[in-house]
Amino acid sequence: MLPIRGLDVLTMPMCLMTSKRMKWLFSAGMTVLMTTLLWGADAAAAENCQSLRERSAGQQVISIHCGGAPSATVDADGRLWAAFVQDKHVYVTRSDDNGVTYTTPVRVNSEPEDTEYNGENRPKILVAEDGTVLLSWTTKTSPNFTGEIRFTRSTDAGKTFETPRTMNDDGLMTGHRFDSLFLTASGKLYLTWIDKRDLDASAARGETYPGAAIYYTVSDDLGASFTPNFRVSHNSCECCRIAMAPYGDDEVAILWRQIYDEHIRDHAIAVLGAQGEVSGLTRATVDDWFIDACPHHGPTMVQAEQPGQYHISWFSDGNLHSGIHYGRHDMATGTTENIIQVDGTPGAGHPYLARYDNTLYMVWKGFDGMASQLQLMRSQDDGATWSTPQTLFNTERASDHPLLVTAPQGVFLSWSTEEFGYLFTEISDDKQ
Amino acid sequence: MTSNRLLSAAAALCVGLLMSTVALADSIQPLGTGTFTELKAGFEGKPFVVSLWSVDCLPCRVELELLGELKKQDPEFPLLLISTDVIEKREEAVYILEEYGLETIPSWMFADAFIERLRFSIDPTWHGELPRSYFYAADHSFKAHSGILTEEKLQEFFPH
Repeated sequence: MLPIRGLDVLTMPMCLMTSKRMKWLFSAGMTVLMTTLLWGADAAAAENCQSLRERSAGQQVISIHCGGAPSATVDADGRLWAAFVQDKHVYVTRSDDNGVTYTTPVRVNSEPEDTEYNGENRPKILVAEDGTVLLSWTTKTSPNFTGEIRFTRSTDAGKTFETPRTMNDDGLMTGHRFDSLFLTASGKLYLTWIDKRDLDASAARGETYPGAAIYYTVSDDLGASFTPNFRVSHNSCECCRIAMAPYGDDEVAILWRQIYDEHIRDHAIAVLGAQGEVSGLTRATVDDWFIDACPHHGPTMVQAEQPGQYHISWFSDGNLHSGIHYGRHDMATGTTENIIQVDGTPGAGHPYLARYDNTLYMVWKGFDGMASQLQLMRSQDDGATWSTPQTLFNTERASDHPLLVTAPQGVFLSWSTEEFGYLFTEISDDKQ
Repeated sequence: MTSNRLLSAAAALCVGLLMSTVALADSIQPLGTGTFTELKAGFEGKPFVVSLWSVDCLPCRVELELLGELKKQDPEFPLLLISTDVIEKREEAVYILEEYGLETIPSWMFADAFIERLRFSIDPTWHGELPRSYFYAADHSFKAHSGILTEEKLQEFFPH
């Protein structure tokens, strides 16, 4: 590994990589051992925060391996960009070698903010074709579930970022949280979130209002300006991430946990247009999960080969479906078919889907009482049948929800772990 | 708790101010992977109720309000509170418990970032949804409930 100008000085030397890899091999199970041998150095190169801190001689370490709830994207040139939270700041870092080494993180918000970072609610990062770096996140404004949706961008390749803007336009001290960001093929930027303005208005009228609402805004100039906020739906669940996927070139489909009959928390799907048009709003899952609680368990979706069809995966503990499920939703008929239970074991959760080169990939986390397992399965026939789940990693320490990033060069697992640090590992590799 | 009360509490406070003003005099202890077994041993031959909550869970506030009233009426009610937040959020948790008069009752917070294992140590079948409550009989057979606890449900699961 040759030193590259501008890269993080904490980049790991090859000798440490080797010893760490050996330690990992000895401590892991046979499945992981096979995986590691087959996958080569990419995953094994992972640094972790503890080792960085030990080497920093008391200096503060700002690194993707130490930061909270990272998310990632790959730009048109195949370069990895990641955002994470540390010490009330959002940071952005880039890797030109698929996550082996990273540039020195750039601080995005100069003023500290109580930025949310957890499995369901993390900073989002996208890079437009012209190189504009787009970011959104939620800033907590009190201990009582209030927050604001924040947005900023960089037009100088991530060197500097504009002063963050608040995107909810109601001016209310209420809940605006769980943002999701999506850029369409035509360059329209959609930002959607869970919003409590209607809950507050109902409460002021003395009316009950189950849950919260889904709102969104759109930019057609890569975040220079946005439309007013539009409402998608009343009565969403309050605490689960929203999944987004393209619908044609200009629009997006979103999937979220919705409250039905005041107490059932299943899922709804809808198509959002750039002028505030909401169409095809329908129930996407009928699990009959009767619960007045926060599941903290949002869905995932990707577009299927057939236009208007979506692969979706979600968690429920309902009377009809319990555990992680997969299904294919057709916007034209409003039905979800080919529903299968992916993993019904207790502790299994947080699925994430990707599609690349006509193969579907799904990862999720299992737990066997001692360790978390990172599980992967694939489908070559548009979700009709799936491979036997394979355990890619096994860790007896804390880990984030797993994410998948689709890049020009393949599909990558993006996963923050205490043991292995932040992993960015190709899973669409033929070698597996 | 009404939305107005939530709003007024929110308006009166910002997180930064909170962090600097709340004292650490509370009854919160760290919950590790072996703690729940020890807690149960402390109630050998006795019934008790466990309520799991977190600072980020709105329905939990409704349940905490009920439990606060319950403890006011019956200070001897055998209740254990466990927050699933990392113990670094202790001050925020104390602020919320004080809202409901629950700051002095036995309370624990997750003290390991590996939350899956802590959840498993409490109940292997629990998926992490909140609020979650457990009703232990004297022989420590138990029932579990996900979602807001009401007085009716509490009476049903744990006649008192």
